[in-house]
Amino acid sequence: MKRGHHHLRPNPDPFTVGNSSLCGGSTTGKAKMWEEEAVQQDCGMDELLAALGYKVKTSDMAEVAQKLEQLEEVMCNVQDDGISQLASETVHYNPSDLSTWLESMLSELNPPPTFDPVVAAGTAAAAAATLDDSFFGPAESSTLTTLDFDNNNKKHKQQILEEASCSDYDLKAIPGKAIYSQKTQTHDSSSSTQNNVKPEKRLKSTSGSHSDIFPPTAVASYGIPAESTRPVLLVDSQENGIRLVHALMACAEAVQQNNLNLAEALVKQIGFLAISQAGAMRKVATYFAEALARRIYRIYPQNPLDHSLSDVLHMHFYETCPYLKFAHFTANQAILEAFEGKKSVHVIDFSMNQGMQWPALMQALALRAGGPPAFRLTGIGPPSHDNLDHLQEVGWKLAQLAETIHVEFEYRGFVANSLADLDASMLDLRPSEVEAVAVNSVFELHKLLARPVAIDKVLSMVKQMKPEIVTIVEQEANHNGPIFLERFTESLHYYSTLFDSLEGSVSSQDKVMSEVYLGKQICNVVACEGMGRLERHETLTQWRNRLGSAGFAPVHLGSNAFKQASTLLALFAGGEGYGVEENNGCLMLGWHNRPLIATSAWKLANKTTPVAH
Amino acid sequence: MQHHHRNRHRQGQETVEENKEKRPKFFINDHVDILVEILKRLDGRSLGVAACVCRLWCTITRNDSLWEDLCFCHLSPPPSRVRSIVVALGGYKRLYMACVRPVRSRLGKVRGASWTRDEAQLSLSLFCVDCYERLGGVEGSNSSTGRLVGESSASSLMFLCKPVNV
Repeated sequence: MKRGHHHLRPNPDPFTVGNSSLCGGSTTGKAKMWEEEAVQQDCGMDELLAALGYKVKTSDMAEVAQKLEQLEEVMCNVQDDGISQLASETVHYNPSDLSTWLESMLSELNPPPTFDPVVAAGTAAAAAATLDDSFFGPAESSTLTTLDFDNNNKKHKQQILEEASCSDYDLKAIPGKAIYSQKTQTHDSSSSTQNNVKPEKRLKSTSGSHSDIFPPTAVASYGIPAESTRPVLLVDSQENGIRLVHALMACAEAVQQNNLNLAEALVKQIGFLAISQAGAMRKVATYFAEALARRIYRIYPQNPLDHSLSDVLHMHFYETCPYLKFAHFTANQAILEAFEGKKSVHVIDFSMNQGMQWPALMQALALRAGGPPAFRLTGIGPPSHDNLDHLQEVGWKLAQLAETIHVEFEYRGFVANSLADLDASMLDLRPSEVEAVAVNSVFELHKLLARPVAIDKVLSMVKQMKPEIVTIVEQEANHNGPIFLERFTESLHYYSTLFDSLEGSVSSQDKVMSEVYLGKQICNVVACEGMGRLERHETLTQWRNRLGSAGFAPVHLGSNAFKQASTLLALFAGGEGYGVEENNGCLMLGWHNRPLIATSAWKLANKTTPVAH
Repeated sequence: MQHHHRNRHRQGQETVEENKEKRPKFFINDHVDILVEILKRLDGRSLGVAACVCRLWCTITRNDSLWEDLCFCHLSPPPSRVRSIVVALGGYKRLYMACVRPVRSRLGKVRGASWTRDEAQLSLSLFCVDCYERLGGVEGSNSSTGRLVGESSASSLMFLCKPVNV
């Protein structure tokens, strides 16, 4: 139509003219020009169009242009016979009243506006590309988007207010339209991310109900073109990926500034955008959106989880990805080396869970030269809510295994709400000449950081145990900064990487469980505060400082641990991205060079002289 | 060997008698020690196939020592404690099927390629974890918990399985 406008011949059948140009290419530029002309003209009928028999008020021109664009997009994408009658050469309505004609066309084309996320999700999955790159490199592609729309913005800022008071049908039509174009998308079966459908000519929000949701300027400051309350076609997943990230960041910043109205609107938008993504990005965005929503509406997740559920989740996480296995094997190697030559050993485990770490250690002890030592295990775990002694059950299983492989085994379980509640005297420690002690903590110490006193107390307790070795495995990320926005950004990067690495796993049920497991962590990091926020991850450097100042000296994990870890990682299907890295004697497991967890080993800094504390 | 076996069946009574007159027939099944020596040198898949030949062969291939050689043939003889542990945890055949074979194929080891001690140790550890998982709950424990653990148990080696294209 737009091109037709410039090459018009007085044609009795305006529809064919319109049709031929409608099926043409992108007409963003033309629309711009048209609107320029419209703005220049005074009110009253547009002269040029009037000459052709179209009565369009100049003030309506922009509106008409928008609708024509939408119509064009929809018609270009039509593959089924649904509106083939429109493509034929018949005039349906009186074209002299262009505005109403377009309205009726559009409402005809739109199915009832029920937003069906299942359909949208399904089609989005079909049109996907990896968003890993787009996430990490938003700079390159986002400049493209901003360039396209900058000019439009300036024109539209004045018109936004006008457009904001548009008829309701526009807004209702959005979700339906989005679905419709996406359905045709699958027929196209385009595999490229740059879909056939032109990328949104104007960025519009889908939050759809009110035109005063948020001032466009606030969002524009993040480099997104000004968003009006017009519909958006969610078809280009790569650009949506970038928009999604921007929206997440914007929402976090709004929360940081306590601008909860803006945050609320953005969270809704994130929900829609997330659905248009596929794979890891969608899941991560969904979990973060949920966490942000919890923070905004103050619906905090109830802490303590049903023990059996958390056990199941933990088990699936153990099975799906190498992180826990890596942690266990590397820690075990350090403990094994520290226990060399000892006749009687005692391991104190802060992270007992199901005791998956210890069979391998017991077997390695059983096979060592000189025969196995007497093995004593003290497991510490949280209280359970179903009157069962989970720790004791785990102990029984380990005892059974120990008997099978002929290792002398002794077990004791301690239930404690927090590690800080314990005292070294409770643990029945024997003199260090008789028994060598190892302390093991896998993903447990960071929970103590909610109270600064707690970590100091626990570390001094550990020192009192006089361990041969202390093995600590922690997440390699700083999710404990004082500023919410920084924590949010960090955790977004961290969990995106983590979810990415899960994508290659074998069983989808395991994968889903692992994602739920991680989702709970995300919820805790983002939504909770104060004592409720347990997932206070800190980086290896921070832990090094902390442990160094508490009186511990690092122990280098040997090449055996490194080799074993590398071999283990090589076994994981879809695991070419995993890599072991050595960092000053500590081992870090990462995905595509982004370290995710770190194992470190420590001993008392000064064994001979009593540590002054 | 299989050809030989089949031949024996194909031959009618008369031919058997004829051959007996001509020269002493060599049936491998009469010489179990040789059979064992031969079977020892087979790879995993062939051993599995051999187990399906006849009852005698089936019995022989069930012998764990055949599988032991398969698991650790390229390593210097491990201490005897390994044997007792492996046997206690379920036997060499299980070790091979559950751990060694998938590990070796994942790591791209061709039969005959060197199989390092680390890899063997890792397989053993994974095997141990697997056995631990299979240990059921203890009598007196709440059945629901036991069931939960039982349901999710024995899948720590899932990551070694090939993804099934559904």
